[in-house]
Amino acid sequence: MESPELARFEAVVLPHLDAAYTLARHLMRNANDAEDAVQEACLRALTYFDGFHGAHEQSARAWLLAIVRNTVYTWRRRARADALATEFDERTHSEAIADEHPEATLLRTAAKEVVGRAVDRLPPEFREVIVLREFQGLSYKEISDVAGVPVGTVMSRLARARTRLQEALRDEEAP
Amino acid sequence: MTHPSEAQLDAYLDGELAAVEARELEAHLPQCPECAQFRDGRLALRAALQADVPTFQAPDVLRQRVRAALRAAASPRPPRRLGAPVLGPALAFAASLAIVALGSWRLGLQRGAGERLTDEVLESHVRSLMPGHLTDVPSSDQHTVKPWFNGRLDFSPPVSDFAGAGYPLVGGRLDYVAEHAVAALVYGRRQHIINVFVWPVARGSAIASAALERQGYHVMHWNTSDYAYWVVSDLGMPELRDFARLVQQADVETTGRP
Repeated sequence: MESPELARFEAVVLPHLDAAYTLARHLMRNANDAEDAVQEACLRALTYFDGFHGAHEQSARAWLLAIVRNTVYTWRRRARADALATEFDERTHSEAIADEHPEATLLRTAAKEVVGRAVDRLPPEFREVIVLREFQGLSYKEISDVAGVPVGTVMSRLARARTRLQEALRDEEAP
Repeated sequence: MTHPSEAQLDAYLDGELAAVEARELEAHLPQCPECAQFRDGRLALRAALQADVPTFQAPDVLRQRVRAALRAAASPRPPRRLGAPVLGPALAFAASLAIVALGSWRLGLQRGAGERLTDEVLESHVRSLMPGHLTDVPSSDQHTVKPWFNGRLDFSPPVSDFAGAGYPLVGGRLDYVAEHAVAALVYGRRQHIINVFVWPVARGSAIASAALERQGYHVMHWNTSDYAYWVVSDLGMPELRDFARLVQQADVETTGRP
């Protein structure tokens, strides 16, 4: 059932699936949830695709990421069991890492986990600006579109998030 | 220039500062050890983030799932005939499916509560048939599906696979019925879908067991000492009763109570 419209949608949106999944993984912290959120976001995006035609200045990536973000936050509001879910997720997450890495790399992995954990521990509104800026290289304007806040708020959140990360890493290093 | 704010310095390092301001800052930095130290800290942080945080790639399975879901959603739906089940094209690949939903639920004591629940359960069933809505955790492994509900519900639902009897477990999902979270388990049988909703019976008034037909769907309901079960499907009533027996047996085996 390949329609021209669907083909166009896939050409515009599917190249950004990695970016969508990365944002979802950092916001959900669980691979299954992240996959489900991305799938639902893509379906939502298809429904909104008509509206995307008019928004020339918006990049397709930022547009998709905004939908992913809204999907995740809708789920969070619905679930309201985030704390418990996170404990469960971290267990499976660390098991997954153990599966992927042979024992020899465990030390290196431990060092890397410190930074990843510090990002994970940021409040969601700080975590998302870090992910969008540092891992996906979005401009301030694009982040402002995705997060639905003014550019000034993006700037202050980024600054505060970075300072928190630096503090967290300093605390880890302290004896 | 006056001392820049942290946000201004960040914007400069991110290449987001207007050219005039950026030039001022560049002139300021060499004269201000404090700002230079701030810059070095930020650069070190950026290096650590980019070197040490794993990048994620969308798994191939997800890519395939998304493409399949998009195709299903984009293809025109056949017109719904009166009394016929709404089977989305996305479900064509899934043989027969049944859903067991378990959730926390406070039931009203008023008359008609059974009727309302029947409507809600039926609505959830139909909603689950829409493309992409069937499962939150697609898995035929009960040991994957059951722990998925940890932290999403305040009880751990009994989950069994009946593949041996021709009703394979397809997955589970969190659903909402009567404004309460319920968890759903999905099973399959040929082209049919069955929804069974279950929640702790202690949470609300018991409603008498029932087996009825509504809008072309069959609905079964019963209580155990622990859980209230609702089963919905377009499957024929004899097979639905057969499936219900399996669920009842599994419940007894899990809880040790009739």
